[in-house]
Amino acid sequence: MKQITIILSIAIGLFAFAKADAQTSKDRDQFEVQVDGLGCPFCAYGLEKKFKEFKGIKDIAIDIETGDFSFSYPSVKVLTMGALLAQVEKSGYTPNLAKITRADGTIQTNKQNEEVAKADLTMTKIHVDGMCGMCKARIEKATVTVGGVANAVWDVDTKLLTVNFDSKLTSETFIEKAAAAVGHDTKGTRATDKSYDNLHACCKYERTN
Amino acid sequence: MTTCTLVVNMKEPTKMRVLISLIAVAAVMISCTEKPAVPQEWQFEKTIDLDGINPIGIAMDGNDIFLSDGDHNRVVQVSEGGAILFEMDGFERPMHIQFGTAEHEITDKLTTSMLQERALFIPEYGRDSIAVMRRNKIDYLVLQDSLDAPAAISVYKNEMAIADFYPNRVLYYNGTDWISIGTEGKKLGQLYYPTDVQITEKYIFVADAYNHRGQVFDKTGKGVAFIGVDQKMNATTGIYVSDQEIFLTDFENGRVLIFDMEYQLKQILETGVHKPTDIYVKEDVLYITNYRKGELVKYLLKEKNDV
Repeated sequence: MKQITIILSIAIGLFAFAKADAQTSKDRDQFEVQVDGLGCPFCAYGLEKKFKEFKGIKDIAIDIETGDFSFSYPSVKVLTMGALLAQVEKSGYTPNLAKITRADGTIQTNKQNEEVAKADLTMTKIHVDGMCGMCKARIEKATVTVGGVANAVWDVDTKLLTVNFDSKLTSETFIEKAAAAVGHDTKGTRATDKSYDNLHACCKYERTN
Repeated sequence: MTTCTLVVNMKEPTKMRVLISLIAVAAVMISCTEKPAVPQEWQFEKTIDLDGINPIGIAMDGNDIFLSDGDHNRVVQVSEGGAILFEMDGFERPMHIQFGTAEHEITDKLTTSMLQERALFIPEYGRDSIAVMRRNKIDYLVLQDSLDAPAAISVYKNEMAIADFYPNRVLYYNGTDWISIGTEGKKLGQLYYPTDVQITEKYIFVADAYNHRGQVFDKTGKGVAFIGVDQKMNATTGIYVSDQEIFLTDFENGRVLIFDMEYQLKQILETGVHKPTDIYVKEDVLYITNYRKGELVKYLLKEKNDV
C-alpha cells in the first residue's frame, strides 16, 4: 500500500510538472531568424549576446553552420517582427527569412511575395567588393530587392555578383547603387564612407579606390 | 691531473705522439657536440576527431590537453585520441583559455579570497567574466573594470592580459596596476576586435582579428610592430608565441602562419587546417584547433624534407 502511494505521488508530481511546463511554453512566442554568414563564433556569440538585452529571452539556439537563430520570448511583451529585425541589424548582421510563431498559434513571416516575370531577363556579372558570408547575405539582399531583379548571387571568391533582371524595369547602374548603399564598392560605384564604416568588423574589405 | 703527470714523465717522441692523439680526440669531441644546424619545419602528423566538441581555445597542463567548447558552454579535457576524459559545463561561451599562477583576488560570489595556486583561466564571452577553475571548483577574477565579451586571457608570472573584444582593447595588469591598451582603429597601437593575447618577457602579442593581423605592444601599452599585414589574412583569431616563433591563425582562409621573432614569415601550415581558432606548442609538437569541423590537428617539428 505504501509503495502504491509513493508511485501515485510521483505520477501526480510528474503530471503537474509536465502541465506547468506546457503552460510555460504556451505563454511564450517562438522566434526564428535566418542570418547568413555567421561563420565565425565571435560573430555568432555576439549576436546571441545582443539579444540577451531582451529580458525574459529563453531557449536561445544558434546554428553557426546554417545561420539559424531561434529563441522564445514572453508573449505578453509582444516583440514585433520590426523589433526583431531591427535588433539583428543593430547587432551588425543582416536578417534574411524570419518567422514568429505566436503563443496562440498565429504565424508571421517577413517573406516577400514579389515575383519578377522569368521571361526576357538580362544576365550580367558585376564586380562587388566584400569579404565573407555576411557580405554575401547583405549584397544579395540589397540587390535582389531592387524592383525588376529576379535573382542575385554573389561569389565570395570571385567577388562577382551574377544578376538576372528585367532591363525594362531596372539597370546595371541601379543595381550597383543598391550594393554601394549597403557599404559595398562596385566597379562603377563607390559606397559612401559612412555606409562602409557601418559594415560589421568581419566585412571591412580593403578598399581599392 | 693523472694524465698530465703521465705525459710529463714520458720521453719526448712519445710525449709528442700522446699530445697529438689528445688534440685529435679533443677535436673529435668538439665536433661531436657542435652539430651543424639542420633546418627544421613543422610537418603535418595527423588529425584527431573530437566527437561533439567545437574547440575555440586550447591549453595544456603537462601532457593533459584542455579545450574550451564554446558552442556547448563547457571546458573538456581530452585524450591524445580525442576522447573526453573530464568535462565541466555551466560556462557562457568559454573562449581562449590558459593555465597559470597569478596572485589575484577571486570570488565565489559569496566570499573573496586570494588565488595563490595554479589554475585554468577561462574568459566567458557571454557572461563578461573570467572564470578560474581549480579541480572542480569555479571562482571568478575580481576586476575593477567591466568587460564586454572577453575573448582571451594570458597569465605570465604576476602579469595578466585580457582581450576585451567589443571595446577594442587589451586590459593589462602589470603586477601593480591595470592599464587599457589600444583604441578602435587601424593605426599602430589601435585594435579592431582583439580575440587572443599572450604576454612574454618583454612584450604583449595580440591577435587583432578584424584588422587581419597580429600586433605587438610594449608593457607601457605602446604599439611597436605589426605581424603579417601583407599576408592577406581574413580574421586573425588566435596567437601563440614560443621562444623562437610566432603563430597566427588565419580563420577564414584555413591557415596557420608562422613568423620568426623579427616578424618575418617562415612557414604556412594548410594541410588539415580548417577554420582554426587557436594554437598550442609544446616542445616539438604543435596542436591547432579546427573549430567548425571539431578537430585537433597535430604537427611535429622535423628536419626539412628537401634538405
